[in-house]
Amino acid sequence: MTVPAPVGEGLPAPEPVDLKAEMIRATEVVGRSAPGGKGPAKATRMLSDLSIDEELVLHSIGWEPIELVSGVSIHSVPMYVWNWGQGEIEYASAAYARSFARATERIHAECTKAGGRGVVGVHVEWGVHRHHIDVALVGTAVRPVDGNGLSADPVFVSDLSGRDFALLHNAGWEPLGLAAGASFVYAPRRSMGTAVKQKGQNVELTNFTEAMYAARESAMERMQTSALGMEGTGVVEVKVTEGPMDFAHHAVGFTAYGTVVRLRTGEHRHVGARMILPLDDPVLGFDATSLRGS
Amino acid sequence: MSGAPADLPEAAARRFAEGAFTSGLTVPDFAACLQMGLEPVGFVQGYCVMQWKWYGMGGMGLGMGGYGAQYANTGGYSENWACPHGMVSAEHRAWGQNFEQTWVESAWTEGFTSAYGRMVEEAASVGAHGIVGVVDTNQPLSDMGVLEFRVQGTAVRVTDGTPPADEPWTTYLAGQRLAKLVEAGYAPVSIAAGVASVRVWANCITENLTEGSNSMYSMAQPGSEIDQTVKAHSVVRRLARQRVRDQLGHDSLHGAAMATTERELGQGDAELQCILRGNRVRRFKDFDPMPAPVPTVRLL
Repeated sequence: MTVPAPVGEGLPAPEPVDLKAEMIRATEVVGRSAPGGKGPAKATRMLSDLSIDEELVLHSIGWEPIELVSGVSIHSVPMYVWNWGQGEIEYASAAYARSFARATERIHAECTKAGGRGVVGVHVEWGVHRHHIDVALVGTAVRPVDGNGLSADPVFVSDLSGRDFALLHNAGWEPLGLAAGASFVYAPRRSMGTAVKQKGQNVELTNFTEAMYAARESAMERMQTSALGMEGTGVVEVKVTEGPMDFAHHAVGFTAYGTVVRLRTGEHRHVGARMILPLDDPVLGFDATSLRGS
Repeated sequence: MSGAPADLPEAAARRFAEGAFTSGLTVPDFAACLQMGLEPVGFVQGYCVMQWKWYGMGGMGLGMGGYGAQYANTGGYSENWACPHGMVSAEHRAWGQNFEQTWVESAWTEGFTSAYGRMVEEAASVGAHGIVGVVDTNQPLSDMGVLEFRVQGTAVRVTDGTPPADEPWTTYLAGQRLAKLVEAGYAPVSIAAGVASVRVWANCITENLTEGSNSMYSMAQPGSEIDQTVKAHSVVRRLARQRVRDQLGHDSLHGAAMATTERELGQGDAELQCILRGNRVRRFKDFDPMPAPVPTVRLL
C-alpha cells in the first residue's frame, strides 16, 4: 500500500532560527544604551498600531508601516430637523457625508505629510447625535519599502487590515479609498383612521418598512456613487447599520461604508488557497447537563 | 545591578528569595517563552494611587466665563476662539478657548510612571533581564478624582545571557508574538504610554452648533463643521503621539493602541483625553524579508 504524501509536502522548509541566540543578542543590544536613551542613530522611527503578524505580512509584499495617522470631523445638525416630517432628513444625511469626507481628507493629508502611500487598518468611529454627527479615523500609514510596490497612484485610505491588504495585493487588486453613504428618513405618521383600524391587529407597519427601504437605497447608492467616483470596481468589507434613532424613534437611519477596490493587474490572480486540517480540536470534556438528555 | 532597591516591600523581597517562580503567563505563552530562552522568575507588580486637582483649578488663573474673561494659560497648547458678535449679553459666550490640561497629564504620567517604576524595581531585584506580558490598567477608586494605576507582568531571565547591567526591558507582548517580534529583528525596549488632555470652553458659535440652536446672532451656517471641537480632537491625538514620540529616541513604537474619550459637559464644553500605548522596540538586525505567505483554508 502506498502511503499518501503529506499535504504540506513541497512547501519550502522555513529557515531554522535559533531563537535563544536571537534573544540574547536582542537583550545585549538593548542593554548597551541606557533605557530612555537615543538608540541607534541610523534607525528610522515608526509608529504603528499593526500587530507583528500584520507587519510581517506587509513586508512579505514589500510594504512597511511608518506612522500612526488620524482624521476627525464633526458637523452640526440644526435644531428641529429630527421632528416629525416627511421624506429624507437631508440635514442629517448631509452632515454624515460631510463629516466622513472631511475626516478622510484629514487622515489622507497626515498620511501624505508622513510620506505614506496609503493608510491601512483604519478604525472608523462614528456617532450620530441629535445635534452633531462625528467621524474619527485612526490608522497606520504605509509605504512600499525602497519605493517598489503599487503604482504611484493617489494615496488611499482603507479599513482593511494589513493581512487583507496583502491578500488583495497578491490577488492583483488595490484599494482606492473609503466610500460611505448614509440616509436618515422620517417614518411618516399613520392617519388617525389607519391607526385606529390597525389597533390590536397583527399588521405590517408599512410606514416604517418603506422608510427603511428608502433610507437603504439612498445610502447604498451614495456609497456606490462614491466608489464609481474613485474609478473603483467595487466595495469590499461593507459595514452597514440600520434602525431607528435612539433619540427620535420616528426616524430611521441606514449607514454603509467600505473600502473601494479595483483590479491593479490585467486580471484577477487566483491565490490558490491550500486546504489544511488543523489537528488541534478542543478536548471534549464531560458535560453533566447531558445526563438529563438535553 | 546596583544592589537591591531600598524601598522594595519586605514581603516581596522575601517571596522572591524563596526559590519558586510565579508567573502571570498562560501555559502557551509560558511554553513559547521557554522555547526562546526566557525563564520566568517572578510575577511583578507596581501600584500607585493618584488624586487629581479639581477640574479648571490648575492654578493658572482661569476666568469662569462671561465677556472679557481671562484666558487660561496652562503652559501647554492653548488656542482662543473669539466671539465675532461683540457685546451681546451677560449670558453670551463672548470667548472660547481650547487648552491643554497639563495638570491632568502630569498626574496621569506621574501615576503611570510610578507604578511602572515600582514594577521594574521588583524585576531588577530578582536579577531579571526583562518583563514580558505587561498589563496596565487604571480605574477610579472613588468619585473624588482618585485614580489607581496598576502595572503588572512576568519578570524573565535570558538563559545563558550576561548578567543584566541595566534596568530590565519591558513589553506588552509575550509568547509567540514576542518570538515573532524578535525573529523579525526587533528587540523589546520598554512599554511606552502617553496621555494628552484638552478642555474645550466653547465660544458662542461652538455652543450654537453643538446644541443645534439657531441663534439670531450665530454667524455660522446651520449644519456647519464645529471647528473648535474638531481642532481639539486633532490636537489631543497629536499631543498624545508627540508625548510617546518624545520617549522613543530613535526607536519605533509597535502595536500601538490609541484610545480617545470625550466627556461632554454641555453647551459645547467638553473634555477630551487621548491615551496612546505601545511597545518601544529597537531594530537589532536587518529585516529578513519573509516569503509570501501561503493562503490556507481550514477544513473545520
